[in-house]
Amino acid sequence: MEIEIIVNGEGRRLVVEPTESLASVLREHLRLTGTKIGCGSGDCGACTVLVDGRAVCSCLFPAWRADGRAVTTIEGLASDGVLHPLQAAFVKHGALQCGFCSPGMIVSAVALLGQKPRPTEDEVVRGLAGNICRCTGYRKIIEAVLDAAESVR
Amino acid sequence: MSVLSVVGQRVPMLEGVDRVTGTAVYTSDIGLPGMLHGAVFRSPHPHARIVSIDTSRAARIPGVQAVVTAADTPRIRYVHLGAKYSDRYPLAVDRVRFVGEEVAAVAATTPEAARQALEQIAVRWEPLDPVFTPEAAMAAGAPPIHDGSLTTAGRNIAQHFAADYGAVDEAFSQAAAVFEDDYAHGAVAPVCMETNGTVASFDLSTGELTLWTATQAPFFVRKEVAHVLGLPRERVHIKPVHVGGGFGGKSKACEQEAIAALLAMKTGRPVRLVLSRHEEFASGKTDHAKAIRLRTAVAADGRILGRSASVVVDNGAYTAFGPVYVAAARQRTACLYRVDSAHYDARLVYTNKVPGGQYRGMGAPQMIWAIESQLDRIAAHLGRDPLEYRVALANRPGDVTPLGWKITSCALAECLEEVGRRIGWAGKRRHPRPNCGIGVAAMIHPSGGVYYEEGNYANVALEVEPDGRVLVATMTADTGTWQNTMLAQLVAETLEMPVDQITVLHMDTSRAPEDLGSAASRVTFVTGNAAVRAARALADEAVRHTAKQWERAPDDVEFAGGRLRERGGGRGATLGQVAAWAGGLRAEGYYQVPTRRPDPATGYGNYAAAYVFGAQAAEVEIDPATGKVHVLRVVAAQDVGRAINPTAIEGQIHGGILQGIGMALQEALVSDRGVPVNGSILQYKVPRATDAPAIELALLPSDEREGPYGAKAAGEPSINATVAAIANAVTHATGITFRELPLTPDRVLAALAERDGRRLALKPYLRPRNVEVAAIRRLYPSLVFPVLRKVTAALPAPPRQSDQAVVVARRLGQALGALAAHGPRAKVLAGGTDVLVGIRQGIYAPEVLIDVTRVDELRRLGVGEDLCILGAGVTLAEVASAPAIARAHPSLVEGIQRLATPQVRNVATVGGDLCQQKRCWFFRSALPCYKLRGVSAPCYAVVGDNRHHAIQGAGRCAAPCPADLAPILVALDARAHVASVRGERRLPMEAFYRWSGEPDLSPAELLVAVEIPHAASPATEAFEKFTQREGDFAEASVAVRIWWQGRRPADVRIAVGAVSPFPARAERAERAVLASDLSAGALRRAAETVVHGSLPLSANAWKTHLLVNLTERALCRAVEGR
Repeated sequence: MEIEIIVNGEGRRLVVEPTESLASVLREHLRLTGTKIGCGSGDCGACTVLVDGRAVCSCLFPAWRADGRAVTTIEGLASDGVLHPLQAAFVKHGALQCGFCSPGMIVSAVALLGQKPRPTEDEVVRGLAGNICRCTGYRKIIEAVLDAAESVR
Repeated sequence: MSVLSVVGQRVPMLEGVDRVTGTAVYTSDIGLPGMLHGAVFRSPHPHARIVSIDTSRAARIPGVQAVVTAADTPRIRYVHLGAKYSDRYPLAVDRVRFVGEEVAAVAATTPEAARQALEQIAVRWEPLDPVFTPEAAMAAGAPPIHDGSLTTAGRNIAQHFAADYGAVDEAFSQAAAVFEDDYAHGAVAPVCMETNGTVASFDLSTGELTLWTATQAPFFVRKEVAHVLGLPRERVHIKPVHVGGGFGGKSKACEQEAIAALLAMKTGRPVRLVLSRHEEFASGKTDHAKAIRLRTAVAADGRILGRSASVVVDNGAYTAFGPVYVAAARQRTACLYRVDSAHYDARLVYTNKVPGGQYRGMGAPQMIWAIESQLDRIAAHLGRDPLEYRVALANRPGDVTPLGWKITSCALAECLEEVGRRIGWAGKRRHPRPNCGIGVAAMIHPSGGVYYEEGNYANVALEVEPDGRVLVATMTADTGTWQNTMLAQLVAETLEMPVDQITVLHMDTSRAPEDLGSAASRVTFVTGNAAVRAARALADEAVRHTAKQWERAPDDVEFAGGRLRERGGGRGATLGQVAAWAGGLRAEGYYQVPTRRPDPATGYGNYAAAYVFGAQAAEVEIDPATGKVHVLRVVAAQDVGRAINPTAIEGQIHGGILQGIGMALQEALVSDRGVPVNGSILQYKVPRATDAPAIELALLPSDEREGPYGAKAAGEPSINATVAAIANAVTHATGITFRELPLTPDRVLAALAERDGRRLALKPYLRPRNVEVAAIRRLYPSLVFPVLRKVTAALPAPPRQSDQAVVVARRLGQALGALAAHGPRAKVLAGGTDVLVGIRQGIYAPEVLIDVTRVDELRRLGVGEDLCILGAGVTLAEVASAPAIARAHPSLVEGIQRLATPQVRNVATVGGDLCQQKRCWFFRSALPCYKLRGVSAPCYAVVGDNRHHAIQGAGRCAAPCPADLAPILVALDARAHVASVRGERRLPMEAFYRWSGEPDLSPAELLVAVEIPHAASPATEAFEKFTQREGDFAEASVAVRIWWQGRRPADVRIAVGAVSPFPARAERAERAVLASDLSAGALRRAAETVVHGSLPLSANAWKTHLLVNLTERALCRAVEGR
């Protein structure tokens, strides 16, 4: 199948297998390896990307379904070497350890703040419920997201 | 140095920016020219002889470059803990001992070709009798799992250890009271977010093997891989990569490393071998399950005269680190709190299960749980406050424990007092709120001890780079612990340089000197000391070279502020300049733990140079309706010596506490005859953000002379006290002491019901088929199950369908046409969260996928004159964000908001939720059960772990209905609109499912929409659902809708989900509500009828209580809302 995806603002023409996942296309064809595979079954959220602004697990998202749509990955958040406010907040708060969940976690947080620019703590927690982090205990992540929401205001 | 400028600062993580921007490269991100994809063929049997292996057909698959078995290896066993315990080959030789064991491996040009090749490997097996529990394994006549040379201590016993410390017999004879309690816990898994994986590259001309591997310990990987493949150690190189978590799970050589290396050597091409999440659960090494008998002799004044522990450790099929688990339990027995004497007896027992490995705490959290649980009992007996009693018993500086540990710095009493103050101990302990409780526990942990035969040393190399920056080279691996940042801080502090002038290169065996790696709480203390020494040596080197250059005596040159200065002269130089003069500036620091290895026979000796202490207090609230333990707050105080980086340590402690919550309440591996059944993040309940309580920390200093700048280990042991603090809080809240972990809602709710003497009348005879079902179930273990299992095993397995054609339907007609054409060979693809996962799980094998996400006719959503329409293709997120739907049917939106996760709701559809297959863990593990293989096959739930299964209405299959929308729509009297090429029909949602829970549709039919007619009179709705973890599938759910005429109900609908194979109307309860006065008591009585006709299985009776309680809650809410 031939498709065209706008990945991080750039149009990309690709030939994909019908059952190929968006995660595989991003990682293996486009070498955008910031998107991680943690489970391959939509349970952990490490592969979260935005498709037209909505967070999806790219491991379960057939690549051809992204045809004609805008896909944002972790690589598309910083611009001109300036970190996205959420990325900066994660670094500032020490909201990461091994970093394997961080790209998906940050992308989920971007989607959350897109829908709820001023989330309560409970909304942050629920908004990140689809992203497993085994290292941090989540507290610093929650702080970072609340702080980023504050700073964007 | 009087004032520290870098140590103690909140320096941001060195790798932070790389990791938040996605540029950090992990093993699975590596792509090399010509790289092949590796895959492993694993044993499907828990215990079997390999009669023959035929790989010829696999080797002929296009793209396959190599297929290897044990015949391609030198048949050398891993060293692990040495000859006595060396029992495992990189690929099975002649025999397999657990489901998931590595038997063969392939390398191919694509992952797909590798997968196909695995299916073509033909092994002839001769199944042997397996044993799954230590008791069974030690019993007379049990099948031996290994040959006798490995089990000289007794049948299937890998190690038997027994020793006394002090006059323990005397202690028990003189005791005023003796306490004896049994405790047990299952095995948890590390669940690093990055699964194990390796990229291997072999240079055929030089014989050099290069590995990029997700490990904590390049040292051990190199040592083991070189050993099992017969390579010189110096020809094996490990290269740095980012590592996605360790927690012990990557702290020794794992199995994929040698296999990837073997494939690379065989093909001469790089090979990437990354485990799937399921492989990681099925074959990655785990924590060790234990059974503990704890006896304690107490004097009248409360002193602990003696403690005796008898422990059985489940080793799994091979020994990796079991003997260290034996040691870790011994250490706590004899050293936690002041104990005068101790006796310890432990057996490490082989079973045909996934081998135990290492996990954070090495079994200490559970051993501490046993000790601390019993200590609360002792305090109660003595009439003493548990906190005050612990402070009195706390280890103090200068103590020598019965095991020979010399306690240096120790702020345990201060930690206990601190958590008591912060949690509000006295008030909350005496006057707890209803269903709430608080508990406290302490911990002790070696700060880098003497573990290995190699000794316990570290080397760190520093090199000055041309620009004057200093490179720290270490063979440890930062798996997310911030160790690289802390090592940089120690070096920066010592060299008096800004920390941004320090670069850390970790895990590079060609540039860093030997170090045992990042495990066992050793890097801060052991490697940290080496780093400080290296920095001092570098400063000395710089002074020496500078003196030579300036032709002055070394005493005339001073190193300060990261620069060289001439004393009494004007000259100065940077490190970069000195390096240029000297032709390179490099120094190494060496540190060895200054204690002797304990006596191997008794374990007696001072194991570590310093010990870490801490205390935690937990506050919990128990939901009496569901048995769920909510951890409201955890307060932790930890004696860290000196905090090198408070942000890093806080993060470590937070993480340890969350893992402790998992261990205490949620996590345990479950297997069925050796097959793991909860091997997914959905089924194995790693804590989510919704499980994170408020955490308050106090990092207490202590005067630790041996640590680098006074620091002690901090990260690993933060888990140690959490389990016990929570369990003691649960006991405070409930009055019940639990003897088995984890404290899952099924155990808690069953215990609460027993405590309260609460019995439910199930009246199973009200469902006449129950007579027949009960009779068959009685015959299941001895007759029905084994016979059906044998019959099914003899039938040819259905072929796996590796490739699907995809039909993208744009109009309903196209979708229906495709369904008519392909029928049972097709699957409808919407959100993909069931179908695509099911294909990967091996439970679906469609030839055609019919994508319906672009069919407009399925995407209607709205509220019309007489009804609401939810198109089958509308996503759950779209339904939840439609205000008109929320106004019309709040229960629907409420249900959706609690369904799955945001990512899933964004793609999962109404039709997908209603039509998804069962989530039964036996079925999803692709066991050959009735649901998967049809009438010849048994239901595994009848004889297996059935705590999640149906309590009513089950016949041949006990899998419950997983769809949350189903009971809601039944309660709302909705209709399903179904179409095929032959026409369309509408049927009530109540009739949408067959008895077995599958939609009652022909293979050519498609669910188009659900229609909810408006109520004839004002109505209220409520939906209640219980999941152990937010976002999981329900354990039970109840939807209620009441139509009102004034203050009286005109009609009532109650439907239940997740308790029977289909969403069931609770008509008795409906009638009871209609006839009642709507008082609280009447609603409770009505709710109790909802379980009439139930026939629970062996372990799911808790769901009868759950269902009644949820029904009561939903009824009360619906009545209150009128």
